[in-house]
Amino acid sequence: MSALELRLRALGQSLELPSEPDLAPGVLERLEDGRRPFPWRRGLALALALVALAVGAAFAVPQARSAILRFFHLGGATVIRVETLPPAVERPRAGGLGRPLSLPAAERQVGFRLLLPPFKGREPGRVYVLGDSLATVIVRAHGRTVLLSEFPSFGAQGLKKLAVGKTVIEPVRVDAADGLWLEGGSHTLTYFDRSFGFREQTILIHGNVLLWVRGDLTLRLEGKLTKAQAIDLARRVR
Amino acid sequence: MVDRPLEETELVERARRGDLRAWETIVRTHQGIAFRTAYALSGSAADAEEAAQDGFVKAYRALGRFRRGAPLRPWLLQIVANEARNRRRSAARRDRLALRAAAEHRPGDAVPSPEAALLSRESQEQLLAAVERLSDEHRDAVVCRYLLDLSEEETAAALGVRRGTVKSRLSRALERLREVLEGEL
Repeated sequence: MSALELRLRALGQSLELPSEPDLAPGVLERLEDGRRPFPWRRGLALALALVALAVGAAFAVPQARSAILRFFHLGGATVIRVETLPPAVERPRAGGLGRPLSLPAAERQVGFRLLLPPFKGREPGRVYVLGDSLATVIVRAHGRTVLLSEFPSFGAQGLKKLAVGKTVIEPVRVDAADGLWLEGGSHTLTYFDRSFGFREQTILIHGNVLLWVRGDLTLRLEGKLTKAQAIDLARRVR
Repeated sequence: MVDRPLEETELVERARRGDLRAWETIVRTHQGIAFRTAYALSGSAADAEEAAQDGFVKAYRALGRFRRGAPLRPWLLQIVANEARNRRRSAARRDRLALRAAAEHRPGDAVPSPEAALLSRESQEQLLAAVERLSDEHRDAVVCRYLLDLSEEETAAALGVRRGTVKSRLSRALERLREVLEGEL
């Protein structure tokens, strides 16, 4: 080890670091909460109440928006407002979506029936499956190509996050379901890649995104649709 | 009869079977380095706490995919560091790493190490400033490997890169530091 490396080691011993919090109580509380029957119903209700409250407050006081709109949970998705986006790669339209499978094979892989909009003619020939929990189909709607992704709302396999910079976040309703509309700016989507153990991949997204929950699934539309067009399409997803 | 402390592999197996007390022991064992790593990468104590807690929750839920017999700490640090990087602040808003007051020592570290004794405070501050001026990827490699004293494998896990990349980043970072420090003499 060189003299400089030794100096750096010694420097590390002299750093003033913040006092280390005891993380165990918070970790255990969250894990124990996850074991209770239907914990998501309470969590979701609370999260949505907070979303409504925070969004209402933020939009009433625009200058406070960035301070308030920081962290949302909706189903299996988390939306975080951050100062700078993490390193991300551009995703080709169908690249990085996972393995292309037939619809029946994809449903066997993910373990749930996919909700789809009505198709003219045959159902989609390809469903892209990432790991064994995230399924994506490519849909044409309002003259645009849109990605429809679905994953279980809760449990380790449904982990999904969005990091948002300047994007507007707005609560919306999709029929009786609650949702979030993300519009404008660039943001990143980080998803869980089980095939490589615990590794998340981050991709850069320029389109708008609608997130909503139906039953035990969280659904996500990504594309250059307007809010009204996205909600219209989401309503037809069954 | 005295209970012996459980080995980590045994704790992991118990946690896999849903034993939260076993996981609590693991959290308490690794929370210090997890928090410090998250702090160094995110630049905020609040974000570091959130990232570390999220990391331990996600790691527990992902235990089914943890390779039996593999070292646990790099895997945990990978998850926590990933959370921290997602919360990373811009360089201008990041808490700067700082030296402890001269008379202070960490608990249980009453006597400065011989290495620490070699350094005057002035040269420590000079070195720390040079580290903070490195590019983000070089700074992170230096902070994890040397300042936090992570192993090469742990540094690679924390930064989400291969070990070879850690080596090359460290090599370039050290070279850059030497240039800067020589220029200031």
